[in-house]
Amino acid sequence: MITQYLFYFLTFTAIFCALLVVFSKNPIYSALYLIVTFFATAGHYFLLNAQFLGAVHVIVYAGAIMVLFIYVIMMLNLNKEVEPHKSNIIKIAATVCGGILGLVLIAALRETELGEITEYSNNGIGLIEKLGNVLFGAYMVPFEISTVLFLSAMVGAVFLSKKNIH
Amino acid sequence: MILNDFFIFMKQELMLLFIIFLLLLIKVGKDRSNESLLYLINLLLLINVIAGFILPGEGSLFSDMFRTNPLIALEKNMLNIGTLIISMQSYSWLKSHKHLLEFYILMISTLLGMFYMISSGNLLMFYLGLELSSIPLAALVNFDLEKKASSEAAMKFILSSAFSSGLLLFGVSLIYGTTGSLAYAEITSHLSTDPLQIFAFVLFLAGFAFKISAVPFHFWTADVYEGAPVAITSYLSVISKGAVLFVFVSVLYTVFKPLADVWYGMLFVLSISTIIIGNLFAIRQDNFKRFLAFSSIAQVGFILVGISGSSSMGTAAVIYFVLIYIFSNLGAFGVVSIVSSLTGKERISDYKSFYKTNPFLSWILTIALFSLAGVPPAAGFFGKFFLLIAGAEKGNYLLISIAALNMIVSFYYYLRIVKSVFMEPNESPIESLTIPLISKVALYICLLGIVILGLWSVVYDYIFTLSPIF
Repeated sequence: MITQYLFYFLTFTAIFCALLVVFSKNPIYSALYLIVTFFATAGHYFLLNAQFLGAVHVIVYAGAIMVLFIYVIMMLNLNKEVEPHKSNIIKIAATVCGGILGLVLIAALRETELGEITEYSNNGIGLIEKLGNVLFGAYMVPFEISTVLFLSAMVGAVFLSKKNIH
Repeated sequence: MILNDFFIFMKQELMLLFIIFLLLLIKVGKDRSNESLLYLINLLLLINVIAGFILPGEGSLFSDMFRTNPLIALEKNMLNIGTLIISMQSYSWLKSHKHLLEFYILMISTLLGMFYMISSGNLLMFYLGLELSSIPLAALVNFDLEKKASSEAAMKFILSSAFSSGLLLFGVSLIYGTTGSLAYAEITSHLSTDPLQIFAFVLFLAGFAFKISAVPFHFWTADVYEGAPVAITSYLSVISKGAVLFVFVSVLYTVFKPLADVWYGMLFVLSISTIIIGNLFAIRQDNFKRFLAFSSIAQVGFILVGISGSSSMGTAAVIYFVLIYIFSNLGAFGVVSIVSSLTGKERISDYKSFYKTNPFLSWILTIALFSLAGVPPAAGFFGKFFLLIAGAEKGNYLLISIAALNMIVSFYYYLRIVKSVFMEPNESPIESLTIPLISKVALYICLLGIVILGLWSVVYDYIFTLSPIF
């Protein structure tokens, strides 16, 4: 019972703060609400018994990536109202398109018979040991290939940052 | 034996990995002259092409995360050849570039990503391959360090590719949610025409359409192609598009086979709008790279016509066309690349009376454009012909007639360039250029490809025998 209440609380917090991220005028407030959203999402992971994923989510997203965000906001001084305003026609068109997409999604969800949910057993599925076994077992190739992705991203980043030195 | 299989099945990927790490080590070591490095790298790429043809195995590894068969090996070989040609053509541009090794490290990483994408039997692996083939490309688009347009193009490219990946991932997550698996074989057995699954498929298709720049997902194409260095523009329009098309064909025919009726309608709309809009915008362009961008959009429209006829004929026609497209588009891009790196001129109006000063380049350009337009002796005609036949199998003659009519429109703008190259007077034509030998060889390869593929039916027959029958 308590998990159900927790679930609704976390979901409400996540969605509410996500909306605030979009609607806040001040980018710093947006970033702060984003942190709350990340924490709420991490709470969902804990509820699903994925402790490791939850912890990593907090460390990486709420920690490292948020610090980067806030640095960028400070460096670029985005506090000023410099954002170019879009014309009304584009705004209306975007709203209509988004609304139609949402409508289709809801209609599709209503029409679909979701299969029975497999009973979820608590066998420590989110622990590091299990995760490691899967990473180096079934998902070994993607895991290894992602190293090449990181390597090339690093090469690209270093190359781009050396841009102004001739 | 497992280890033996590993080396045989994955040999093309292992070759590329080896080259990447070799280049990294060279970068760390003492400075060498660009020219000797370029010869070394082109030699490595040549060895890579040749090694790709040896022993095409058939099987799967790591619980279907990676699979291969002679058809997949052939697709990879085609991409290898294209990369080698691009590398040879951009010799004069790279010779004076400070970051030569980074260029190749990034380019070969994207090629590796495409290989894994083509070989994957699992949506996770496919997505990883797709990202590996598009994130380093953003850095490559920014390779003209002094030009602001290049940075702008890179920004547009990374934003639009991130957006399309987002759409695709949303589709993948819905597919995972409704079928309970990411493996291709499992997904097919759980797919039905459920509304939510169709919605997921639409998102998935949108992600793909972004990557192959089908209308209405084409807006990034022209700007990125114009801003990027010519070598990267040709890489984007030929290699990266070709790889996504290969995956698109095999995924539509196998994984999404239960939804065949659904995607036929979508492909119908996509292909007609792609051909028409690509053609109409190509007529108005004066920048050569922008022109080739819209022409490549129109070509993708024809490929979609071929895909819409679901059969082994469709697979064979698409692969055959991509092979021809590699040679003809690289022929045209090769000339643009050489002219742009030696003179900096990229406008079509600069090419007036190009024939008087550079007859060799003019002939290559003309034959490549003939092939792109589909004038009979050149291979492009047969490519488009097979695509239309494959599309006609469903009996939808409206689609075929619109495509055929648009081929006539495309004659106009391709031949307009040929006319200005040969006939229009110009007071200050492009001076006579000395082409580096290695680029000349690359242009001859393109020329041979265009002529041989059109006249020698063995190639098409070979592709057809490899294409699976569904």
